Amino acid sequence: MTDRAIIDRVDASLAADAPLPRDNGELVFEEPWQGRALGMGVAVMDRFGIASDEFRTHLIAAIKEHPETPGESAATAYYAAWVDALEDLLRERRLIDPPTAGTPPRA
Amino acid sequence: MSDHDHDHDHDHGGAHHPRPESEAELRTRALEALLVEKGLISTDAVDAVVEMYENDVGPQNGAKVVARAWVDPDYRHRLLEDGTSAIAELGFGGAEGSKMTVVENTPGVHNVIVCTLCSCYPWPVLGLPPTWYKSAAYRARVVAEPRAVLAEFGLEIGSDVDLRVWDSSAEVRYLVLPERPPGTDGMTEEELAGLVPRDAMIGTAVALQPEAAR
Repeated sequence: MTDRAIIDRVDASLAADAPLPRDNGELVFEEPWQGRALGMGVAVMDRFGIASDEFRTHLIAAIKEHPETPGESAATAYYAAWVDALEDLLRERRLIDPPTAGTPPRA
Repeated sequence: MSDHDHDHDHDHGGAHHPRPESEAELRTRALEALLVEKGLISTDAVDAVVEMYENDVGPQNGAKVVARAWVDPDYRHRLLEDGTSAIAELGFGGAEGSKMTVVENTPGVHNVIVCTLCSCYPWPVLGLPPTWYKSAAYRARVVAEPRAVLAEFGLEIGSDVDLRVWDSSAEVRYLVLPERPPGTDGMTEEELAGLVPRDAMIGTAVALQPEAAR
């Protein structure tokens, strides 16, 4: 079971460069998938002992590649980048060979 | 504590997303399905993390801070002197650069926190604020008639006790250090943390008696 400590570490690691979207301190999840994305990332880091700094590098790159566009909500842009980053990390670690980004299989 | 609205029903009617609305959601679901299928993570593990973020990443942190202060007088001293640094010693922080100030309850002083302007809250140690904390009624009344408000929480504060109300802001956020309950001498730090409910660190409750925590 995931320890709270890893959540705090992830939170702290991202705070400076790519902080989790918050509104007055509260985490912002506009839609349930955003919480799932975050939960998946933390669960993967926990399961495979991946340092949050390693994930952060991917996240910063993903945010740079797909910055928030006008009219797009910050949380949507952030968690879309989060999924990009998680896929990159998993691919780099050869844990998965995910389908080409942007053409997800229909659920 | 389930005051956080996460159950809105996938209303995708808005037109404010330049990215196709469901793309990120679909990719998230596809990735989770893939990870689960490969046995890399379980759905339960993701659920557990989400739940922690939603519910109690915070109050547990605050309870650890309080328990440490109860067992370690030096730590307690540092905590009251410089809450931000002492809380960071335990690995908690990141409150948008705001300062954490810890106020101590004693037999003669009871503290309670509020944010009269909005809902500033020491979230790195307490997690998400309860709904009532954000209500206009609490914010106004706890300043005007704190004893009456605390009585409504089931907490009677004697007239001989100095009742102090601390107004949080973006710059300074307060955390109440409740009194250690009697009869807890033999308890471990971890056990003590279990006696510290969220509301005791807001000041609308006190720490639990050992038997009540079971």
